[in-house]
Amino acid sequence: MAERNERPKIKLAVYWGAACGGCCVSVLDVHEKLFDVVANADLVFWPIALDIKYNDVEAMPDQDIDVTLFNGAIRNSENKHMARLLRQKTKILVAYGSCAHLGGIPGLANLSTKTEIFDRIYKESESTNNPNHTRPLEKYEVKEGTLTLPEFFNDVRTLAQTVDVDYYLPGCPPQTERLLEVFMAIVSGDELPPRGKVLGATDKSQCDECPRKKSDKKTIKEFHRPWEINDDGETCFLEQGVLCMGPATRSGCGHRCIEVNAPCRGCYGPAPDVIDPGAKMMSSVATMIDGDTSETIEKILENVIDPAGYFYRFSMPASILRRKIPENLQAQAPLQK
Amino acid sequence: MDFEPTIVSFLCNWCSYTGADLAGTSRMKYSPNIRIIRVMCSGRIDPTFVLEAFKNGADGVLLCGCHPGDCHYQSGNYKCLRRYNMLKKYFVQLGIRPERIRLDWISASEGKQFANLADSFTETIRHLGPCKIKNVIETYT
Amino acid sequence: MEEIKIGVYVCWCGTNIAKMVDVDQVVDQIKFLPDVAVARNYKYMCSDPGQDMIIRDIKQHHLNRVVVAACSPRIHELTFRKALAKAGLNPMMFQMANIREQVAWVHTDREKATKKAVSLVHAAINRVKWHESLDKRTIEVNPATLVIGGGVAGMSAALEIANAGKQVYLVEKSKKLGGYAAQLDLTFPHFYSARQLIKPMIRHVEDHKNIRIFKPMQINQIFGYMGNFQSTLQLANGDETKLKFGNIIVATGLQPFDPSEITSYNYGKLPDVVTSLEFEKMLAKGRIETCEGKEPKNVAIIHCVGSRNANYHEYCSRTCCMTALKFANQIRSALPESNIFDLYADMRSFGKGCEELYTQTSRKNVIFLRFDQQNGLPEIRSTNGEEAVSMLIEFTEQFSKEQVEVPADLVILMVAMESHADAKDISHIAGISMCGNSFFIEKHPKLDPVATTSDGVFIVGTCQAPKDIPDSISQAKAAAARVLATIHVGTIEVDVITATVNEDICCGCQTCVSVCPYKAISFNKEKGVSEVNEILCKGCGTCGSTCPTGAIRSRHFTDQQILSQIQGLLSPDNKFEKM
Repeated sequence: MAERNERPKIKLAVYWGAACGGCCVSVLDVHEKLFDVVANADLVFWPIALDIKYNDVEAMPDQDIDVTLFNGAIRNSENKHMARLLRQKTKILVAYGSCAHLGGIPGLANLSTKTEIFDRIYKESESTNNPNHTRPLEKYEVKEGTLTLPEFFNDVRTLAQTVDVDYYLPGCPPQTERLLEVFMAIVSGDELPPRGKVLGATDKSQCDECPRKKSDKKTIKEFHRPWEINDDGETCFLEQGVLCMGPATRSGCGHRCIEVNAPCRGCYGPAPDVIDPGAKMMSSVATMIDGDTSETIEKILENVIDPAGYFYRFSMPASILRRKIPENLQAQAPLQK
Repeated sequence: MDFEPTIVSFLCNWCSYTGADLAGTSRMKYSPNIRIIRVMCSGRIDPTFVLEAFKNGADGVLLCGCHPGDCHYQSGNYKCLRRYNMLKKYFVQLGIRPERIRLDWISASEGKQFANLADSFTETIRHLGPCKIKNVIETYT
Repeated sequence: MEEIKIGVYVCWCGTNIAKMVDVDQVVDQIKFLPDVAVARNYKYMCSDPGQDMIIRDIKQHHLNRVVVAACSPRIHELTFRKALAKAGLNPMMFQMANIREQVAWVHTDREKATKKAVSLVHAAINRVKWHESLDKRTIEVNPATLVIGGGVAGMSAALEIANAGKQVYLVEKSKKLGGYAAQLDLTFPHFYSARQLIKPMIRHVEDHKNIRIFKPMQINQIFGYMGNFQSTLQLANGDETKLKFGNIIVATGLQPFDPSEITSYNYGKLPDVVTSLEFEKMLAKGRIETCEGKEPKNVAIIHCVGSRNANYHEYCSRTCCMTALKFANQIRSALPESNIFDLYADMRSFGKGCEELYTQTSRKNVIFLRFDQQNGLPEIRSTNGEEAVSMLIEFTEQFSKEQVEVPADLVILMVAMESHADAKDISHIAGISMCGNSFFIEKHPKLDPVATTSDGVFIVGTCQAPKDIPDSISQAKAAAARVLATIHVGTIEVDVITATVNEDICCGCQTCVSVCPYKAISFNKEKGVSEVNEILCKGCGTCGSTCPTGAIRSRHFTDQQILSQIQGLLSPDNKFEKM
């Protein structure tokens, strides 16, 4: 430790965009290792833990922050503004967690439009009690001046679709051990991998480490939800007809879900050369279907109720087609026979 | 000018591509909106290709393979059929009309059938109008 | 990485392409695309001067990629690959854009056709950037040959190869060699006895030391690839025998059309309506008679039964007209006093000695009457014993346009030739494509009518198309020559467009293993990854699109190559709206 302390401390920032807070908590989850972190880094900005204002960040010189862990997707103008600001102020910008990496769970909002989301929240939801039909306004004049709220975008984007990103640390949330490894690599001044790489995860997919028994008998006669099968705790989920994103998902998480007998949901994102993990997995799973006619195949597919939500759970905004076409822009013409 | 659809078609080498060639050698006429990419087998058609075509502005995608039971590689066309059915479900969720992708079987001797298919699919897409996904990806922020 | 330099060549194909595609404009539009070093158009790219142009440019401009926009790659891809190799470039650094079969010949709007041609060339340019050098694999050719089918075609091929001193395995499904030809009486046009032709041939085959015959025997599966096929046969005594062979000649032959589906002929209901094959047997027995054993006074022959008719088979069966004339001659000799009516739709008497046979027959008091299939087929009905003849055939005679009735005591239906019912199974076993009418498809209808799209598999005789004995034998001997040539050279070079696994990425999910129809992928337990047996892999690419990790690359059809092709095809400049 003494040796390391001779090195100047690095300046570390942690920020959240459209996120659930889990990523910030995962940083706290370093537990007693936090002392190692604090010994090597000054936390200069972290809204969840420190009272440092945006103005303070704006006042920092460019490239002043050594590392920013940016978690969360880009949902509104505030997220976008902060992404740009932190990019300007940071040497190494890390997309931290699934949302910053691929859009994550908030990215599934791309299957709805802004109007649909607002209608649901401020009008239709079972728990909504909004008799005055109040809706958020971006600007509101009061006698003290103008009150503003960030603009809610139509589209959820990833951090890399908004600003240049140096590294990605995937996961929902990233495994804390992986964060520490990456952090220590940065502070120890080791040579860093080429820009744009995914850190804290392997190039191989989950199956490589998955303790379940796998074979080549991946034929699916019927798809099941995990609770519908008598899981023997040993056999590959896919071979039991349960959708598991493991084959299309990088390893590194320690297969946490599989450990508790839940199939992989894909939060660590795709293997290195895969452009669209959802498409790859759709292709792979569809190939396993035990049917050679449209009727049989459609019948078996009836149990795959939500392919977008399943295959693109964490990667919708980063996927090739990114989102749903708003209804007013869809083709309305009835189909000719 | 009227809407002119852009259609990408993936044809397997042994049956469909040969069938399309036969349409040519027989001087059959069909819509110029179809642009063909050759793969060895319809089993090679990765959903990624279909998505990439739409992302780049295709209004429709036509997949063709050998007739069921006649695949040069025994079973690639069945795999294509399964993926096609899966993709259609995904397309519904994206607000893309599933009619914008079509899978059909064209044998090496079915030049006429290919020409007819090219025309009828072009008409379907013309009728549906332009696919807005490219535009939406680029501008709907 | 080495700088990419692409040469792009747009072919006029005389006027074939240039008439519908503005080749100058294509060159103008693509010459500024990134990495395009040379762009030209020329009358005939496939000609020697055309190829020399490419070779010269490769050397002068240090090109490392070539795109030719011309005909279908199925026709000239190999030609241009060879030109690249001549210039010292790896032949796989080449991509073709098909602007003849899939543009010039099928479109009528020159502006749109040109635009589409540009987009196809753009796609090819994008794709070729990602091409990689691939080496050919040299494999040894097993000198034995499998012949499937012991008819006249199969036996001819077998004899030709066996006489050259090479081993032949001849597999015949039935108990006897000889096939359809062995069931004929006389042959046309010279009335040789079929038995006298076929019998010595069968004996020769049976006695040949280089031919091993398996009959009755069916082939269930063939593994391997050109040069190294193998199959296991189940012998009658329960034993198995494993055969290894380098080439396959398929000669599964024909089956006669079943005329009972043509209701107006009442075949099967009227006992004196017989097929041409049944009549052959009657002739072979030496007596022409009705079902009651009487000599027929009136004999009618009806052509095109099941042929040249969209309801049955659109094709012409080629041999029936001449067989009908042969019948007329045989009937005239056997029954000099009979009336012979030949009801034809068209008299097709091409071929050596055939028109002569027609002229000669027409002098033998045979009444030729023409009907038109478009206006309905003749109706055969029974007179129920109310008239002197047992049947009447009613139809419109085409020249006089008059409704006529022809009396008949015996009617011979000249039934169409169909591909044998087993052909479908054999097509899967041997990897041959079929036409819509279930005949096998040759590699090229004009330039390569003996080979198939599966290397090392040849088709001979009536499994390819209706044909007569001399044509079947010619084709059989041609196939034998092809086979002997590969055996003589001893090795063949094959493209390596197989799948390959990146072991650093493969996670061992094994989804690819069961997807492969050729069992070319296996799981290496020790390494925990899948492995491709490149010898067994036929390069379909299905595993590549099944692999969820991107670990499997389908060589020469990689994701990157196809995705760039899509992007080029759909480049905004290439849309019709931009015209």
